Amino acid sequence: MGSKFVKTICPYCGTGCGLIIKIIDGVAVATYPDREHPVSRGSLCIKGWSAHEFINHPDRLTSPLLRKGDTFQEIPWDEAIPMAALKLRETAARYGGDAIGGLSSAKCTNEENYLFQKLIRMAFKTNNVDHCARLCHAPTTVAMVQALGSGAMTNSISDLAGAECIIAIGSNTAESHPIIMGGIYKATDRGATLIVVDPRETAVTRNAKIHLRINPGTDIPLLCGMMRHIIDEGLHNEEFIRDRMEGFKDLNTFLQSWPVKRAADECGIDEELIRNVATIYAKAKESAVIYCMGITQHACGTANVLAICDLAMLCGHVGTEHSGIYPLRGQNNVQGACDMGALPNVYPGYQSVSDSAIQDKFQKAWGTELSDKPGLTVTEIIGLAGKDIRAAYIMAENPALSDPDTNHVLESLKAFDFLIVQDIFLTETAKFAHLIFPSSCFAEKSGTYTNTERRFQLLRKAVDPPGNAKEDFAILCLLGNALGLNFSYIHPAEVMEEIASLAPAYGGIRFDRLELEGLQWPCPDSEHPGTRYLHKDRFTRGKGLFVIPEYTPPRELPDDKYPYYLSTGRMFAHYHTGTMTRRSPFLNREVEKAYAEINPENAAHLNVKDGEKIKLTTRRGSIITTARITKRVAKDCIFAPFHFAEARANMLTNPVLDPHSKIPEFKVCAADVRKETEDG
Amino acid sequence: MLEKTKNIARQILEEKKAGGILGLMKGQWNIIQPHIFEAPAELDALVLEPKWLLAKLAMGILRSSPENYKLAVICRGCDERALIELIKRNQIEKESLLTIGIACSQEQAALCLCDRPYPTKLDAGEKVKGVDPFQDERVREFLIGNDKQRMERWADMLKRCIKCYGCRNSCPICICEPCKLEDDVWVKRGVVPAEAITFHLIRAFHLSDTCVACGACQEACPVNIPLLYLQFSMRKTIQEYYGYEAGLDLEIKSPVLSGVFEGPDTDREYPAWVNSMRERDGI
Repeated sequence: MGSKFVKTICPYCGTGCGLIIKIIDGVAVATYPDREHPVSRGSLCIKGWSAHEFINHPDRLTSPLLRKGDTFQEIPWDEAIPMAALKLRETAARYGGDAIGGLSSAKCTNEENYLFQKLIRMAFKTNNVDHCARLCHAPTTVAMVQALGSGAMTNSISDLAGAECIIAIGSNTAESHPIIMGGIYKATDRGATLIVVDPRETAVTRNAKIHLRINPGTDIPLLCGMMRHIIDEGLHNEEFIRDRMEGFKDLNTFLQSWPVKRAADECGIDEELIRNVATIYAKAKESAVIYCMGITQHACGTANVLAICDLAMLCGHVGTEHSGIYPLRGQNNVQGACDMGALPNVYPGYQSVSDSAIQDKFQKAWGTELSDKPGLTVTEIIGLAGKDIRAAYIMAENPALSDPDTNHVLESLKAFDFLIVQDIFLTETAKFAHLIFPSSCFAEKSGTYTNTERRFQLLRKAVDPPGNAKEDFAILCLLGNALGLNFSYIHPAEVMEEIASLAPAYGGIRFDRLELEGLQWPCPDSEHPGTRYLHKDRFTRGKGLFVIPEYTPPRELPDDKYPYYLSTGRMFAHYHTGTMTRRSPFLNREVEKAYAEINPENAAHLNVKDGEKIKLTTRRGSIITTARITKRVAKDCIFAPFHFAEARANMLTNPVLDPHSKIPEFKVCAADVRKETEDG
Repeated sequence: MLEKTKNIARQILEEKKAGGILGLMKGQWNIIQPHIFEAPAELDALVLEPKWLLAKLAMGILRSSPENYKLAVICRGCDERALIELIKRNQIEKESLLTIGIACSQEQAALCLCDRPYPTKLDAGEKVKGVDPFQDERVREFLIGNDKQRMERWADMLKRCIKCYGCRNSCPICICEPCKLEDDVWVKRGVVPAEAITFHLIRAFHLSDTCVACGACQEACPVNIPLLYLQFSMRKTIQEYYGYEAGLDLEIKSPVLSGVFEGPDTDREYPAWVNSMRERDGI
């Protein structure tokens, strides 16, 4: 009798819920919630409940594949690995190490991310390693490091329950982080006020006390107006500012240019409402701000995050148990991939590649020379394909769907001299590869993930990878060894020990300490219990810094030719590029085709009925999708989820970047909508 | 209670009365999770807390087991009631199941608002007094007021629904195939919240005569909707009208199936087809 149960961690969002996988005769057949898990406590969202469904999908890659013309041919590992090593080495020898680019993965474990960046940095003496955090919370790491000294969520999910006021800005928490939404309700059930800022109407706004339906991209005017009101009314925390902050004078001067009236005009919200919301936030004993892609995915993403930090610090709502700033991380291990240095400017633990003392430390530890020049980002690596970047190694990322301006991305993916893709399915990106490594999903490996609240959690292997697929960890070790790097690790726990020895914030993290509850970093030594909330008596950077959030409106606004605002995002039944969820029968039945939301007034004007085909066009391209007529979107606004390969929302998005964090402006561009007829 | 449970379980395994014991295991790193104990030596790791409903897991295990496999389930009152309902509904074969009944603590009963915190076949532990859910302040909050007020209160709660299907998935008795909630006819697919009337009330009514008040639905709900309170009133109504309670006895039929014949006389004219059923069932 082969039924058994294995506890592990959900592979979808950054909440990091506990799953129990049921296995019959070596096959994962069901998922149950883990009653004992510190975050999810016996609950899951629709995706979590379905997490086992894609594991046994017939599309799983089971052998290394080599491109032969337009098709792929199965080859054994002992050909695939030497070939990869040879091609990468040849490229580096011919064009230099900086001609290699690596995209690590927020879906893979900490240990795998550590090995990935180590491999790229050691083998090719380049820092061209990045991952999809660039597309979600890059502004968070830049802005929060500048203002507070640490780019991570300040508090823990369970701390939300004790907040008196929660502001959620640009976060559809109910659909994108459903279990955290439960934490918000714990607070509102105790009488907390929930205020939601979102141009759309969502399951969050409908359960809020106050919904501020701002014009797209006007977060800074709103936040500045609020701050101006707080200072005008003397509601700011003078003691906190005096003892713990720098830069108040400059901020105060800057805010003179943001009278509440101006803010109200910019964001299309009643002036009194802005004052009211600001007062509630400032006066509450402890207030928390939650934010997500609605804040970061703008060309002024970094300034948006800075404005949130300024507001929180102005009121002293940081560094206590139930206050704080909550950037909700999107991927199961995007926090970890950043922590592990899968970023072009830092080694593991956010240690700058340009700092010579740190460079020395890593050179010594790894026994090799390393580059002190910050590398290229995701969009740069793809954008420079066939030019500065000649070969790329992409581990479990799908830029063909996830990056803006898809037409351009697809051209680039074709331009690499050699492209290696490592994934569990033949993704839209893998189709462009010269060589494909079949890897393993969350249930087929050991290691750790770090959730959005900085919690290292153990992933436990439940089943074996299919066919000849291997754990990413094992593939990295093989390739590392083939490149002469001595990656002789037997188990991820050894890698964690190496990480702990090099990154002080994780110095006390060991597999055998993670047990059930995990450990929240910073955890500097083996006795340290982990840290529930940051910045308690002092900010990570010493004093907190008020940084002026310069407002720049969205780069592409509606005009005569493209009269609609287009925004992209997620919906509850699917996840990101749909590689896993669209192969999960239950999720795919819930939502089986691409759609875009359009307001009834616009639909009537265009003579479009619910469920009819529409064509969305921007300066980058067009897609044909299905209209969902709903007041969830305001008049002249369109919302398109980006999960669908057959109607790629990112064909339309604007690749313009935030200059500080290089995040593209996914959230706003100008679009046209037409009814799609038979003859086009 | 734990030692006694272990002894009973050990005896079952040693005497080969069952192929496995479904219970909770405290394993490596003190992790607690459901486990099928197959060897007596494994039972050292058996624990009884926390409350963790096993009936649905038991059903799944038995479905994928060889024909003569027998499973013993360590069960609380609610779990036993659920197993009895599953047998009555032909989901589990009576002969394939053994139970080791354990009693809940007074604290657990209070937490679950459970009026019957012990199984009918009690093997270990002492019975504690049941709790009357209708005396609970939180429950009353959802029951007092006129229809409109109550509807508003419920609508306010149900609009939180994120459509995880956790209430259905975790419910030991929610077993319809295909499930009406997945049917695009009754509940619109692909939108949250799930429609309150169709999604939640279809589910509640489907369970009106089978709900054993285990609370699994409410415990699985990520957004804290008090789903169990919906069932309390329904259970009470059926108890008062028909003297029936789900999960207490293998033989007594649900009044939804038998009520027209065995329930209190309502002076109602029954359509002709009822009489045909009467004849068929030999009543």
